[in-house]
Amino acid sequence: MRTPTLFALSLALLSAVDLPGQERGRRGRRPGGPPTEAPAAAPAAEPAKNDKPKSYTAIVGGDVYLGTGQRLTGATVLIADDKIETVGHNLKLPEGTVVIDAKGKCVSPGFVAVAGGGMGADRNGPYADTVNPFAPDIKQGLAAGVTSFLAGSTNGRGTPGGSNAVVKLAYGDLDGMVLRENPVVGISMPMSTDERDKLYEQIDAAKKYLQEVADYPAAKAKDEKAKAPQAPRGGEKLVEVLEGKASLWVNLGGGSFGFFRRRGGSGGESDVDAIRQGLDLAKKLGRGVVLVKPTSAWVIPDEIAATGSKAILSPRTRVEADPKAPDHTGSNLASAAILARSGVPVAVTCPVGMFGGAGVGTNGILGQDLNTPNVDVAYAVRGGLDNRKALRTITLDAAEMLGVADRVGSIEPGKDADILILDGDPLHYATFVTTAIVNGKVVYEKGDDALYRHIDRHTDR
Amino acid sequence: MSAFVVTATLTAAVTAALAVSAVGQDTPAAAPAAQQPAAQEPVRFEMWHPNTPKSEADYKVAKWGPRHLPSPGYAFFAQKVLPITSAPILDGVVVTRNGTIEAIGKRGEVTVPAGYERIECGDSILFPGIIELHCHIASPSFDLNDTVHPTNPEFRTLDLISMEHDQIKMARAGGVSTALYIPGSGSNMGGFGTLTKTYGKNPDEALVRFPGSLKIAQAGNPERGSGDLGTDMMGMAEGIRMTLLDGKRYWQEMLAFEQGTGPKPQYDPTLELISGLFRHEYPVSVHTQIYQVVLETLQELRQELGLWTVIVHGTFDGYRLSEDLLKAGVPVAGGPRAYHFDRGTGAMEGVLANYANGGLHGWRSPVLGLGRDGVGVNTDSPVIAEEQLTLQAAMGVRLGWPHEWALRGLTINAARFVGIDHRVGSLEVGKDADLGIWSGDPVDPRSHVELMVINGTICYRRNPDRPEW
Repeated sequence: MRTPTLFALSLALLSAVDLPGQERGRRGRRPGGPPTEAPAAAPAAEPAKNDKPKSYTAIVGGDVYLGTGQRLTGATVLIADDKIETVGHNLKLPEGTVVIDAKGKCVSPGFVAVAGGGMGADRNGPYADTVNPFAPDIKQGLAAGVTSFLAGSTNGRGTPGGSNAVVKLAYGDLDGMVLRENPVVGISMPMSTDERDKLYEQIDAAKKYLQEVADYPAAKAKDEKAKAPQAPRGGEKLVEVLEGKASLWVNLGGGSFGFFRRRGGSGGESDVDAIRQGLDLAKKLGRGVVLVKPTSAWVIPDEIAATGSKAILSPRTRVEADPKAPDHTGSNLASAAILARSGVPVAVTCPVGMFGGAGVGTNGILGQDLNTPNVDVAYAVRGGLDNRKALRTITLDAAEMLGVADRVGSIEPGKDADILILDGDPLHYATFVTTAIVNGKVVYEKGDDALYRHIDRHTDR
Repeated sequence: MSAFVVTATLTAAVTAALAVSAVGQDTPAAAPAAQQPAAQEPVRFEMWHPNTPKSEADYKVAKWGPRHLPSPGYAFFAQKVLPITSAPILDGVVVTRNGTIEAIGKRGEVTVPAGYERIECGDSILFPGIIELHCHIASPSFDLNDTVHPTNPEFRTLDLISMEHDQIKMARAGGVSTALYIPGSGSNMGGFGTLTKTYGKNPDEALVRFPGSLKIAQAGNPERGSGDLGTDMMGMAEGIRMTLLDGKRYWQEMLAFEQGTGPKPQYDPTLELISGLFRHEYPVSVHTQIYQVVLETLQELRQELGLWTVIVHGTFDGYRLSEDLLKAGVPVAGGPRAYHFDRGTGAMEGVLANYANGGLHGWRSPVLGLGRDGVGVNTDSPVIAEEQLTLQAAMGVRLGWPHEWALRGLTINAARFVGIDHRVGSLEVGKDADLGIWSGDPVDPRSHVELMVINGTICYRRNPDRPEW
């Protein structure tokens, strides 16, 4: 609860010592404004701060997956500095454009991992001060296609909480790494009635505060001495959620113990009640929540859609059904497909396991961790999700759930130039990233990196 | 058993002559040009187990499960049939009855007997039932480790099979029809494993062969902190050797008795099972992974003791020995860890690819690979869920294992490694009617099993609204 206060304090201290010429100091530099500030408009629209001409790069001739579910065959993506300038056919390229030939290849938005670890962000926040842009496993993440991920925790028991950041794999570029601090506020369900009553009181207090803030200018015009409203103690995170500055994640923990359940198949698991508690919360807030690993979401897809809520799934994590009520208990491989059909956006993440989990690394089991995010999507496709739309689950829809879809997740003008060139269908198990671009810079080339350059592809694309 | 006293007088190492591989009989299945591997094998892998009896009736120790159990007559029609040991058949049909494949061929060229149910599978792929070589598939605990002694050849999985176990049910949904169900690697010898089908009215009907293998773990898990076997690999190797030598002596006494040159040895159920290893009725399946451990497996079990040796759970950098294994006729089932991060080069090496392809792998480079016929894949379920066996193959292919070799690794290679290829591992007339009807390439995680047939019985039908897998 005290973290935000401390955080604000440290921010104040930081700005106090932020002298000119000290921009490279370890703690003296903070790109962007405070984390609670509304996202800045796309810099592409801003006038250039200096006279330096834009540097252009074009990825030409690839099959471009936009991340929105659409695909342009043999198209060109034009990048200006760190942003996507335009995408389409027969583009006129500015003079001096660096051309990357992608004929016969696929082009995709960089994958957005809704959970991750390491990759330059293994310390706690504030992340702008602790990220390491030269961590070797950043290259491994890029080889997996990940260009941004959620680092840190989304834990909140009773009270919404967590300390996290969306971190970009901008290898070698400290300033380019932290996209947004604390974009996600988490809470765990199910909760007791006491916990819920307390939470709802906090929400009421936060709403009251926001009303006071809205009324304050008028009150001040009437009375010079009118006191500025005070944010409710401990309710700061809820204020951010209500303002739309943070995304509220309801952690249901479905499948956390899937690995152990596999031992004997205990069965009988249903979290419909907990999901409904989360949907109640969404109604109370007046905005959708993100259901994290709901097991039984497939039972009530329309209820979820009605609240504008979303879901993060690990499609292949199994929870046994109750033999006495198999029709509405247990997991369902078709969850992603069922939810998508009802209009619920879905993001996909890795299973939690003894040897895998949401990270890259050199000691895990390939196919069970973040080294192959496309394999998790493949299992959503196996369960019936449309192959053409499925890429959204690790691009645009994932970015939405992290509250950073204004910056990443699709190949659209004005967005960050975080782009992959792949040697085949992004969702094919044998597809490799051949080039990864983050913030307009080439940060990974399969052919130049020891990790996978020795591997030749022998399958269809 | 008191075989663990480390003695100074070791039996002189019996270095068996290396089996120089002969040219194999069957022709490779035609593969699309795009799937042809860059490196062609110069030598065909030929497994070494010269004493194996010619037919099931000649086995003295092993017990074979029943065949030709009653099942209805079916004719499965599909756009593509992959028999594995012969060329793919477009617009093909497989006819089955009483647990057996009766006919296979092109639609129209195969006569379907009257009364057989015709099942149209559309644009599906008919693929043989997949074979799992290292798993704890019906374990009541996690890994099934009873580490009562440093070596536990007295133990067996035969009595611990449940057709309704979660992993066995999911195996069917994942296209897996046969499993070598072995104890874990918590001790140097976990016990005797069982080859079982993943469907049957009861475990007796599902049985393929007991013992399937003896599970040995040379290192990389069975280490004992107490130090009673030393703290390194040599002490453990000695414990394994002494146990096996007990069984060898028993086998030699039994052979003498059978030839009328000696008295009948006193029956010992454990030594009896170990003697089956020396008769080459079944292999030792060895959990062995790192270069030095694989070297120890090769030298101790295959060359010194002359056992039919199969490496399972093959991971880390054991692939540096692929040429030695090729010459010795020792195959490898790799997994569950598909890659080895080579700290010397910073490369993510594909374990299955390197075992199969050989190449420049360190100080003994270049080495020949085990090729098309010497490599299979396993899950170590429940470490990796049984239904994800095909994903294990997919990850092998991702890292360079040729796709066509992976299809064989999942089926006929695995069947040969454990000596059940006369029953399973391919779609051939006379073999068990074990087949999966797949929506697409079985290696691709996006494909699924529509229908699973084991011993001629349809035992799994996918519900699209609630797909099990």
